[in-house]
Amino acid sequence: MENELIKKGRELREKAKEDLAKALDQLGLDSFYATYLSKKGSLRGLLGNMKDVAPEERGETGSAINSFFREINDAYETRKKRLEEEKRQKKLESETIDISLPGRKPQTGFINPYHLIIDEVTDIFISMGYEVVEGRDVETDLYNFELLNVPKDHPSRDMQDTFYLNADKLLRTQTSAAQAHTMRERSSDPKPIRMICPGKAYRRDDDDQTHSHQFAQIEGLVVDKDISIANLKATLELFAKKMFGEKREIRLRSSYFPFTEPSVEVDVSCFACGGKGCSTCKGTGWIEILGAGMVNPKVLRDCGYDPEVWTGFAFGVGVERVAMLRYGIDDIRRFYSDDLRFLSDFTGK
Amino acid sequence: MNVSYNWLSKLVDLEGLTPETVAEKLTFAGAEVEGISHLASGTNLVIGEIISCIDHPDSDHLHVLQVDEGKYGVNHIVCGAPNARKGLKVIVARPGAKLPEVEIKPSKIRGQESNGMCCSLLELGVEKKMLSEYQLAGIEELPADAPVGEENVLGYLGLDDCVLEVSVLPNRPDLNAMENVAREVSCLFSRELRLGAIKEENLKEESFLVDSATPKCPQFSARVYRGVKNGPSPLWLKRVLNAEGVRSIDKIVDIGNYIMLLTGQPLNMYDEDKLAKKELVVVDDYEGKFLAMDGNEYELTKGDLLVTSGKRPVCLAGIMTADAARIDENTKNIVVEAANFDYASIRHTSNRLGLSSDSSSRFCKGINPHQAEYVQALTGMLLKELCDYEIGTTTSNYDTLSHERKVVEVTLDYLNKRLGTAFLEEEVISCLTRDHMVYLGKDKDCLRFEIPAHRIDIEGKADLSEELIRLEGYDKVQSTLPFVELSCTGLTPSQKKQRDLRHYLLHCGISEILTYTLISKDAFSRFALLHKEEPYVLSNPLTTDREIVRTSLMESALQVASYNKNHQNKDLALFEISDVDGINLSSRDLVIVLTGNVFEQGSMKSHPADFYDVKGLYEGILSILNVNPNRVQIRRFEERNEELHPGKSVGVYLGKKLIGYFGELHPVALDRLGLDNAAVLELDVNELYELRTSEIKAKAPSRFPTVSRDLAFLVDKKVSFSDIEREALRADPLIKKVVPFDLYEGKGIPEGKKSLAISITLGSNERTLKEEEITLATKKVMDTLSRKFLAEIRG
Repeated sequence: MENELIKKGRELREKAKEDLAKALDQLGLDSFYATYLSKKGSLRGLLGNMKDVAPEERGETGSAINSFFREINDAYETRKKRLEEEKRQKKLESETIDISLPGRKPQTGFINPYHLIIDEVTDIFISMGYEVVEGRDVETDLYNFELLNVPKDHPSRDMQDTFYLNADKLLRTQTSAAQAHTMRERSSDPKPIRMICPGKAYRRDDDDQTHSHQFAQIEGLVVDKDISIANLKATLELFAKKMFGEKREIRLRSSYFPFTEPSVEVDVSCFACGGKGCSTCKGTGWIEILGAGMVNPKVLRDCGYDPEVWTGFAFGVGVERVAMLRYGIDDIRRFYSDDLRFLSDFTGK
Repeated sequence: MNVSYNWLSKLVDLEGLTPETVAEKLTFAGAEVEGISHLASGTNLVIGEIISCIDHPDSDHLHVLQVDEGKYGVNHIVCGAPNARKGLKVIVARPGAKLPEVEIKPSKIRGQESNGMCCSLLELGVEKKMLSEYQLAGIEELPADAPVGEENVLGYLGLDDCVLEVSVLPNRPDLNAMENVAREVSCLFSRELRLGAIKEENLKEESFLVDSATPKCPQFSARVYRGVKNGPSPLWLKRVLNAEGVRSIDKIVDIGNYIMLLTGQPLNMYDEDKLAKKELVVVDDYEGKFLAMDGNEYELTKGDLLVTSGKRPVCLAGIMTADAARIDENTKNIVVEAANFDYASIRHTSNRLGLSSDSSSRFCKGINPHQAEYVQALTGMLLKELCDYEIGTTTSNYDTLSHERKVVEVTLDYLNKRLGTAFLEEEVISCLTRDHMVYLGKDKDCLRFEIPAHRIDIEGKADLSEELIRLEGYDKVQSTLPFVELSCTGLTPSQKKQRDLRHYLLHCGISEILTYTLISKDAFSRFALLHKEEPYVLSNPLTTDREIVRTSLMESALQVASYNKNHQNKDLALFEISDVDGINLSSRDLVIVLTGNVFEQGSMKSHPADFYDVKGLYEGILSILNVNPNRVQIRRFEERNEELHPGKSVGVYLGKKLIGYFGELHPVALDRLGLDNAAVLELDVNELYELRTSEIKAKAPSRFPTVSRDLAFLVDKKVSFSDIEREALRADPLIKKVVPFDLYEGKGIPEGKKSLAISITLGSNERTLKEEEITLATKKVMDTLSRKFLAEIRG
């Protein structure tokens, strides 16, 4: 038997459901809450009327009214949440920005490709356990020539026209001078050597598209007790693959440098065409990248390493040449003009 | 060395080979062939005879020819050559012929049919320098007995040859001789050599004194030939010289050149009747003038090698004959010299006088010292054959050289270890024997080889390893990485600092540039602020633009800025790190140049680069290099100069030593460079790399909060922030930090004053500060600033 209160509660519940559906904004919700759920609200108010109910019915009536209240209260909370969610969505939508505008990028500097190549080659050889030796631009005749088996008046001096500073000092014509320094410094207690020396060199050449009176080389030197041409070949193969791509191969051609014996020119299979022949490799499939050889026993001896005990190999890479091939640079003078329109293609680091 | 393929094929069997295959092998063996050029080229050629020649009716210089071309019949050809005439035998390029520059087609020239072209040798691609004025002016005139209808015209002319341009490396001067090129090819292809045998008869014993007063001429030989009949050289000799790019003169001169090309031994020839005595003596103590056969007079000094006769100079040894002893058209009796001279001496004299010849360049590169008698005999044979001399003498020879053959010993183990190969003994012997060495047998483990005389470059066993591998080919070497003991390597601390520094600057948006070390005197006079040492000046500069080794990087970097501004790039941030060298100076500097606007990190705002931009970089550099800022000080630059703005620049000092400077450029310098503004820095970074860096010590943050209070005040413009900061920090131990946040001068502020706002941070490691403590400490700061600097506190 349902009493009046329960009946009223049921009616209020139905009414509240209808009203809730009509509450479309915060204002409507607030007024709904005030009408039904607040302390003075009609639905909650029914709980205050329990004293009018007969004691034996209070349990049943109370739980019925409570359940109406909870049902409406839950519905109210759900509705409230939904409206808040809709409102947030609207706000977010209104905040949408133009994602195509440029970002605020902290501009990094550009880097002359000369430095890019030196850094890259240096990293490759450091990873192979080499140290980096730094020579000076100003050298003596002794270190630049004589200790490298180029005595005064030797015909091979004609290969390199030299800038002289006085009778003895000159601007080094090759980073190979660092070989002699490194060996001599250690000759009192000879130890194996694995070093590279990146640096500037100078020759008395007129500047044009392919010649520069100033240029850079990276010299490499390995001295140990059982070093062979096979070691040189493997080292340069590894270098070529790291520098120009895993598919590259190298080939060695006989050549001459006073400080190595035997001497070779090293070609790498063309990285532009893969060896089929193109304009980069002038149709040959190969590109000459460096000179190398076994350290001449005379050089070892004059630098304090007994050639009966020690052997070694050395190589020299032209930095600008590698950069020109690698990046398709047409003129060596570009490295030294630092035109931003050219440099701005080179970022990194 | 130009190698005539035809001539080469007479010296070594080339059957079945092509110029290209020979060139490739030579190249891989170390004698790089830089090009193959054909002496002449042309298809559809035929020898013709002009059977009629009439003037073109509509031209004042063209002829209309009827040319008999044998089986091709008689054809009309219009020809403009002035020497075209009836009866002349000519080279005809028939329609369809491809010449180096042109393709021949039947045509009409001013109404007259023309079916072909009569050619000059120039039109067949023969080098201009090989042709006479007469040959260049018209069509080639063939001998009267030239066979009409002959289609192998290039063969008939001896122009069906090609030349391998061999780049001879300094260790192989022997390859400047055809005989040795033939030896090399014979070795590379295992082909038979065809060098002729020496056969001479009826030489007369006669005394002719040859002597040398100097060790710089260790050997000197001479022969005399009398009744020599000179004249034009035979065709075969002309062709050989032609292919080598040497012009034929007459028999005697041509024989000299031919022998030199063949053997590499320069010869010198004298007119015997012009010699003062029957002697040739080499001296090196002559001083005075020397009239050479080129007509020029040279001033000789002690040390120059000179050949004399009766104390009179007859030849600048190895370089050029004296005008007084030269062979001329009346010469009947000649003396032929084959000698050895010290290469360094020839080189010095030749360089000093600016006089060189084919002969001197060969002596400078080095010649085979053991072949003088062989060369004399070859020359004698040729002189007999071509000039039919009446009397020839035996050789008079002064010789202090040892002609014992060099012997080099090497073990198989040494060769294989050095090369990383596994050659067998017989392979080594076979290869080196092909290379014209004589295997002398084995002594214990040592293989002994006698080195051929022409290989003056081979001295020791390392050279034998090179011979072996260059001939066997480097593809026989199996790559093997070296086995090494591991050790700790990588960049040194200084190198790491430099790398960090470069990356920091790059990340700050500064571009790394590269500039020339050599600069002009004018550029050197700029920015001589940091290093005062004397610069190195080149003793042999190429241009005045590049004659001084710079001691500062600043001018170079500013020139880059100036260049770029002229190319529409005015907002620039540049740096370079480079060694600088001078007399008593070897340092490494960093230069930074900021011009135009600086863009603030992470914002679209920018402002013109100024002092505080470089100062900020300077501070950043110190922290990147982990330099305690107290180790280096900045002070206003003491020295007056027109490079830096006196009020906006400072020197950087390590103790008393100036190690750098930074600031804004002086307006005079800006004007000179065409820049609107520039903030620059130059720093001796080696000094900074070498400073001991202190290890970082971690400290726990205070458990108690700090508070900050702002103060603004008017103060004299000359009062520096650093003074205010120092005094504020001293005012009370609770003051932890003082930072400026606003600076204003100008409107509303009295003349000579500035308005400065600072924020002070207060705190304690022991407790949370009470309001009274804060107020008191802040008041102390205000009082101190008022007392010390007459600051008027504004709030």
